[in-house]
Amino acid sequence: MAPPAQSQRSQSPSQPSGKSEVSDLKLQLRQLAGSRAPGVDDSKRELFKKVISYMTIGIDVSSLFGEMVMCSATSDIVLKKMCYLYVGNYAKVNPDLALLTINFLQRDCHDQDPMIRGLALRSLCSLRVANLVEYLVGPLGSGLKDSNSYVRMVAVIGVLKLYHISASTCVDADFPSTLKHLMLNDSDTQVVANCLSALQEIWSAEASTSEEASREREALISKLVIYYLLNRIKEFSEWAQCLVLELVTKYVPSESSEIFDIMNLLEDRLQHANGAVVLATVKVFLQLTLSMTDVHQQVYERIKAPLLTLVSSGSPEQSYAVLSHLHLLVMRAPYVFSSDYKHFYCQYNEPSYVKRLKLEMLTAVANESNTYEIVTELCEYAANVDIPIARESIRAVGKIALQQYDVNAIVDRLLQFLEMEKDYVTAEALVLVKDLLRKYPQWSHDCIAVVGNISSKNVQEPKAKAALIWMLGEYSQDMQDAPYILESLVENWDEEHSAEVRLHLLTAVMKCFFKRPPETQSALGAALAAGVADFHQDVHDRALFYYRILRYNVSVAERVVNPPKQAVSVFADTQSSEIKDRIFDEFNSLSVLYQKPSYMFTDKEHRGPLEFADEIGNLSIGEATDNVVSSQRVEENDKDLLLTTAEKEETRAGHSQQASFGIDDLLGLGMPAVPNVPSPPQLKLNTKAALDPSTFQQKWRQLPIALSQELLLSPQAVAALTAPQALLRHMQSHSIHCIASGGQSPNFKFFFFAQKYEESSNYLVECIINTSSGKAQVKIKAEDQSTSQAFSTLFESALSKFGTP
Amino acid sequence: MLQCIFLLSDSGEVMLEKQLTGHRVDRSICDWFWDHVISQGDSFKSQPVIASPTHYLFQVVREGITFLACTQVEMPPLMGIEFLCRVSDVLSDYLGGLNEDVIKDNFVIVYELLDEMIDNGFPLTTEPNILREMIAPPNIVSKVLSVVTGNSSNVSDTLPGATGSCIPWRAADPKYANNEVYVDLVEEMDAVINRDGALVKCEVYGEVRVNSHLSGLPDLTLSFANPSILDDVRFHPCVRFRPWESHQILSFVPPDGEFKLMSYRVKKLKSTPIYVKPQLSSDAGKCRVNVLVGIRNDHGKTIDSITLQFQLPPCILSADLTSNTGTVNILGNKTCSWSIGRIPKDKTPSLSGTLVLESELERLHVFPTFRVGFKIMGVALSGLQIDKLDLKTAPSRLYKGFRALTRAGEFEVRS
Repeated sequence: MAPPAQSQRSQSPSQPSGKSEVSDLKLQLRQLAGSRAPGVDDSKRELFKKVISYMTIGIDVSSLFGEMVMCSATSDIVLKKMCYLYVGNYAKVNPDLALLTINFLQRDCHDQDPMIRGLALRSLCSLRVANLVEYLVGPLGSGLKDSNSYVRMVAVIGVLKLYHISASTCVDADFPSTLKHLMLNDSDTQVVANCLSALQEIWSAEASTSEEASREREALISKLVIYYLLNRIKEFSEWAQCLVLELVTKYVPSESSEIFDIMNLLEDRLQHANGAVVLATVKVFLQLTLSMTDVHQQVYERIKAPLLTLVSSGSPEQSYAVLSHLHLLVMRAPYVFSSDYKHFYCQYNEPSYVKRLKLEMLTAVANESNTYEIVTELCEYAANVDIPIARESIRAVGKIALQQYDVNAIVDRLLQFLEMEKDYVTAEALVLVKDLLRKYPQWSHDCIAVVGNISSKNVQEPKAKAALIWMLGEYSQDMQDAPYILESLVENWDEEHSAEVRLHLLTAVMKCFFKRPPETQSALGAALAAGVADFHQDVHDRALFYYRILRYNVSVAERVVNPPKQAVSVFADTQSSEIKDRIFDEFNSLSVLYQKPSYMFTDKEHRGPLEFADEIGNLSIGEATDNVVSSQRVEENDKDLLLTTAEKEETRAGHSQQASFGIDDLLGLGMPAVPNVPSPPQLKLNTKAALDPSTFQQKWRQLPIALSQELLLSPQAVAALTAPQALLRHMQSHSIHCIASGGQSPNFKFFFFAQKYEESSNYLVECIINTSSGKAQVKIKAEDQSTSQAFSTLFESALSKFGTP
Repeated sequence: MLQCIFLLSDSGEVMLEKQLTGHRVDRSICDWFWDHVISQGDSFKSQPVIASPTHYLFQVVREGITFLACTQVEMPPLMGIEFLCRVSDVLSDYLGGLNEDVIKDNFVIVYELLDEMIDNGFPLTTEPNILREMIAPPNIVSKVLSVVTGNSSNVSDTLPGATGSCIPWRAADPKYANNEVYVDLVEEMDAVINRDGALVKCEVYGEVRVNSHLSGLPDLTLSFANPSILDDVRFHPCVRFRPWESHQILSFVPPDGEFKLMSYRVKKLKSTPIYVKPQLSSDAGKCRVNVLVGIRNDHGKTIDSITLQFQLPPCILSADLTSNTGTVNILGNKTCSWSIGRIPKDKTPSLSGTLVLESELERLHVFPTFRVGFKIMGVALSGLQIDKLDLKTAPSRLYKGFRALTRAGEFEVRS
């Protein structure tokens, strides 16, 4: 693979600057528009090509819209395709001009050639202009009944596109039930697959508001549908198979014979050439057998070979994704892969992200029988040209040592590393030897002999230097010249830039002092003096502490600094088993690659129906900073998993509650109060609350989201909201104050805060209102979590009164 | 569900943008991505799946072209990666190679292909046979044809019959005057050899490639003399699973043209066809290198295009290397490549010379890994043998051909 050249952000010389070329094109297109001369199609094609290439480079050619549409009356299919592409790209920003294209697209929908019918229908649905949906229903209806499967296939996806533009139009035309019929009866499997994916999306989105839709969604994973799809699975394209398999994982078989039937049927999918199919099948197998422990173990054996093949025969990118999944499996069943450790040996040419995962796999599969060989192999990598990998492999050796297999041989290897005279190898090895000694103090004798030979001048990295100093202090009675080395280090106090090293140095000198007082006394004095004068707060404090405790009572000081030590038996694991289980549930998803459950990294808005993703999708990176913050916050909150789940349920409760409101409003009952929810405890708000913006910002970042919901605004409210100020005054009369607001019609964004009466407990609210859809996205954060529900009700009622006189 | 696909050139320029859903992805994501790549130093080093502040990005780099796909929702990762790999395969198949110019020249075809391969973020068909019927590739024949007939459309008039047939990989009813089918065994040997000459790992990855030009709906069976040596196998969708399960017979209706019927792996092989013995000894700021290459056990077939490549350690100032056979080149990035070709009968090829280390270094601590290349025609080193190929209802004239080839895959010798 050719390495990419240095990046040049400059534009390529051939790239035109825009304006004059575009108007030139406009003129030429206009000349050609009416012409019927022979060969005109060829010149049109050249022009269209130019237009599209400008569009691709990023030049705005939307001003040519009219001319392009005029030229589109042609029978040449390539011209048509280019025109469709152009129209699809600019229709959304030019809704008025898009109307011009409807005519010719509709005509093309009745063309003789099924290909043109299909393409026209696809483009028609890709215009995504809300006020043109009325023109879509007819062609879609006939498209779904078309005799050609290509057209039907396009039409099915078209229905889904329509649903995203205008859900009500789609439901009113009864398209979902047509799709259901097609799904169960069409002869073409691609049509079936498209129906399935469309229905999944539509019904999941509808399920929150309609009982029937949620029943239909359940019906998708009924025995009838699942068996129907499974029986045809070999006819599906590989991608459609992935979709079906994903659905099957959600199916709960009623008896165990079903499980075996399904697995028998799907067994050959494990041999499929497409890795995505293999992985989806693996997921089905694992999920089906979760409750049957012994079969589950057999499944591990069965899926092993196909997965290992994927690792070694695919592209590096595929290997990476599969290895991430293997890593997950190996955590649950290390013994399964322990005899296949050679698969995880690194090849010289592999990219480092693959090597890194392979190293993790090697550490994970190491056991009594293979440790020797694995460690031998890892030691080869220590001499690797790729320095980060060399470091990782030394760390891997250390991790294996801490797993307690064959420690004897490993310690020898580590000590050899120390003698390799390469600074980064020495550095990594020192850190490991330190950890090892904390776990296996019995090896101190051998290690100290080697460590004593290392000149502290050759160790530069702070972590390694700290480790060396720690050992000097801890084992000063065994190392002849420990006090003198420490003394020389203290003398160079000012040249030591890392606070961590200085902290370790202070402690080490103390320890050494209690073991060999006469030799260390002067060094201790110097270290304490330097420490107290240190500008770093921690170093200063620790030095002062040592100084005072020494003055107070030397034997107490000794007990503090040199207590009898116990060997560490288990180092704290970085990831809880609960998180690992969650990731396992999300097998075959991105969360496995990030090694985090998806709620920790995907934004909440995007997990449900893609309601608001449109606006967010349009954000450019520069403005997206608050997104980042929110994902970080989710991560912080994860320390308390239980809390987060509870919160999620609460959110869901909020949704359904809101949904029932929506229906009530639709029926025109106009019930102002909360219908069947027990009335919340009265919450009084402080009318004169105050909060400065920076505190708000800080609290917003710290607090978890207590509630997030979507509210519907009354038409009066939408009408009243011409500028943000109107809402501000209204909310203030309800003791909810605004701290920041912005946006232009139809999108407004507000940050509100409120304070509990006679208490300084704050509520923070982010409210995004879209006046065109009449919806408000509300996120509430509360310092006092227990009253967040009550506050939410208050906020809701305040908002609902907006616009009413 | 993918939301957008970008094709970036090796300088980070957006060559192509294909929005797939209503959730438009802003181009600024490419700038973010490119900055990210630069901060990693090399696009090859950064991971295939990255989380940007707004989207999750899949990237696959082929021939300097970055295929970038964006999504905001959870999805099977391999689906994204596999799809991008297929896109790059299909494009390079269509355009006869991949590079910046060829994509810019043919971007209309690329758009057309993407249009058929994915709709609303969900992959439809990536089967090259089917695509070929919907969009004709820009080859010389069609260029000539367009000049002659004046019809320059590159879209075939007919819709692919297979979209309606139950064998999605096969076009309906091709007709040939000469019925031919060729089966090739193509194997790659992956091996790691330690500095003491011990085989750490040695296995063969093999593919059975079939090129079929058969009329009608041919039903083929292919059997091996020794199928038991195959370790794990993967099949083209056309292979029926049951006959393989019970009798290790490949029974299939082939796609038209060339395709990969199956891939397999044969593990734990005991020997390699050639040996490489590197010796490095260093002291006093110099390192003497001596590498011998020879045939280990004779398969009776000539071993061709033997090459040896290794990366000189960064701490080396200069290198003076000569060989008694073939040519030695030291490239700009400190890669030394020695091309031997065939091994002569009368002498053993050897490479020798000295490396001068950086001034403060006494001895060499980083040892290079030698990557070996070779090619052997007419033999499958795994030992796999084809027994016979049968065609149900054989046409009157049928020509069957078999070939085998083994080359070095990741063949590494450590020193």
